Amino acid sequence: MATQLDYFQLIKKSRKVDFSACGETFRLALLGDTATQQLAALLIVLFAEHGIRLEVFDGPFDAIELQVHDANSDLFRFAPDAIVILNSVQALRMRYYRRPGSGTEFLDQEMRRIAGIWDLIRERTSAPVIQSTFALPIERIFGNFDHKVADSLYAVVTALNLQIAEAARTRAQILLNDVEAIASHVGRRHWFDNRFWNMYKTFCALEHLPLVAQNIVDVVLSIRGRTVKCVVLDLDNTLWGGVIGDDGVNGIQLSAHGDGESFYEFQSFLREIQRRGILLAVCSKNNLENALKPFLEHPEMVLRRDDIAVFTANWENKADNIRRIRETLNIGFDSMVFLDDNPFERNLVRTLLPGVIVPELPEEPADYIRAIAELNLFETSSFSAEDTQRTELYRQRAAREETQSSFASVEEYLQSLETEILVTRFDTRRITRIAQLFQRSNQFNLTTNRRSQAECEELMRDPGYYPIYAELRDRLGDHGLISIVIAQHQEQELFLTDWLMSCRVLTRGVEQHLMNHIVEFAAGRGYRWIAGEYRPTAKNSMVKNFYAQFGFEAESDGSQGSIRWRLDVSAYRPATVFMRSVEAGGAVGETA
Amino acid sequence: MVDTFRDVFGDPGLTIQDTTTAADVEAWDSLTHIDLIVALERRFRIKFTTGEVTNLRNVGDLVSLIKNKTR
Repeated sequence: MATQLDYFQLIKKSRKVDFSACGETFRLALLGDTATQQLAALLIVLFAEHGIRLEVFDGPFDAIELQVHDANSDLFRFAPDAIVILNSVQALRMRYYRRPGSGTEFLDQEMRRIAGIWDLIRERTSAPVIQSTFALPIERIFGNFDHKVADSLYAVVTALNLQIAEAARTRAQILLNDVEAIASHVGRRHWFDNRFWNMYKTFCALEHLPLVAQNIVDVVLSIRGRTVKCVVLDLDNTLWGGVIGDDGVNGIQLSAHGDGESFYEFQSFLREIQRRGILLAVCSKNNLENALKPFLEHPEMVLRRDDIAVFTANWENKADNIRRIRETLNIGFDSMVFLDDNPFERNLVRTLLPGVIVPELPEEPADYIRAIAELNLFETSSFSAEDTQRTELYRQRAAREETQSSFASVEEYLQSLETEILVTRFDTRRITRIAQLFQRSNQFNLTTNRRSQAECEELMRDPGYYPIYAELRDRLGDHGLISIVIAQHQEQELFLTDWLMSCRVLTRGVEQHLMNHIVEFAAGRGYRWIAGEYRPTAKNSMVKNFYAQFGFEAESDGSQGSIRWRLDVSAYRPATVFMRSVEAGGAVGETA
Repeated sequence: MVDTFRDVFGDPGLTIQDTTTAADVEAWDSLTHIDLIVALERRFRIKFTTGEVTNLRNVGDLVSLIKNKTR
């Protein structure tokens, strides 16, 4: 759990840090227009507590530009993994007082300077830059009216912070150390220490400096991928007031207004966390049926069953359940947070699973969110569309696995998938994807002809060929284009020049369906024989005897180990397949 | 006050006299000096002014200063 962030304790510890438990190193450069030695010492201690041995380049005081302009500076020769830039509002204020033009001109200059420093850094290294925001000044010379005067220091600093944020949105390399957030949290009147700024140029009251250090640690840990991936939730008195097993759906407290408002708000907060890409899991001591009731029936339930990636409700101990959740999700214990109103459960999990993050929750549910917010658990250094789909992707995968385990036979399982297959001639809509498959397919590829898109287009138009592809879709998802067969009209036989398939869809009947289709086609055209060929490569030995299963006979070992196969069309027995054929235009689409 | 010095400098066996200066104590540098000031302020519930801190020549001055402020 979070360290005691006491300045004196940490400084004491910094004199003899034990690095023996540190499995990795991180090289951090510190550049500031403020004193940074104390910060460096705090960072070393805090990182060691996370098993990281920190090597610090503590830049000379107020030498940010010097270090950054010189390609051979100590900064760049240090080869940092990340660069912290600490700008103080105290130094900014002094520059503001000496501004040559207006406040808004000063604002532009400052932003250009900051962005200029980022650009210079980017030219020389791709290491992330952790840029501080400015704590807002405590004085307002127009009072509340400051905001209405764009030139006022207060308005300038507010605008500068906003411009830094906006510029950071378009630069993945720039991450933020939101000093203003911390200062505001602590309270601006406690944050500054003017005496110490005057004497020693310290950034803030020393007792609060550990919060700045911790903030930087949080950002670096997220760069290193040490992020929270799953929040495990208790149900009774955590997601709703009361006990569902005793009170029933109508007796629990959960409402947008009134008694259950805290829980409603808490669920709303958790849903935002889930939307942001963190998985939610439920771990409750309840009958599964009771536990699910509010999700299915309660009109004010904010979290839906679909929002929960793993739902566990039984009477076993929570440590075992969390172990199972971890295994199912295949993540580390240290990326899991466990929220439970019951101190007994919290302590149990803390004791038996020391890696799991178990925040203390206050008695008052209305304060749950604040208790969690204090810990800054959800830091990240990136965010993309994939994050917002994580729960859905996970549920698709989990549903496939669940389905697999509860079916007696493979056939039943295949049946339950409600598979649809589209088989059709090459068309312009799919020609690019077709060519891609020719390039990429190595294992399930009988002849490994690397056909270019131009070639595929020619084949598409050539009446001497019957080139087809298959697309697959089932209850769990859309698999897109997964197989290609090219048949060539020859005098005595229909010759299969190409047969390839995606390994994702092995052993579910695709090849049987396609062979049924090919034989039907051949019979319809009056062919007696269908022939195929296997040309060995380093990767396609799995299909050496592919044609044998359909009754083809090996004719000869051709050049370099290739095998020619031939089927008597009249001897073919169509295979049973568990999929439905659909016509083109049935909207079977492409997966990513 | 000796306890505070020992604590800040991480030296439980440290001894100081009125004439001791930063030059005499290995662990006493500009960095730990700040920690010392803050620790003394906390310990004796006083606040030094900028002028008071910069005029200190040795431990003796510091002792007198603290005595004055805690009277």
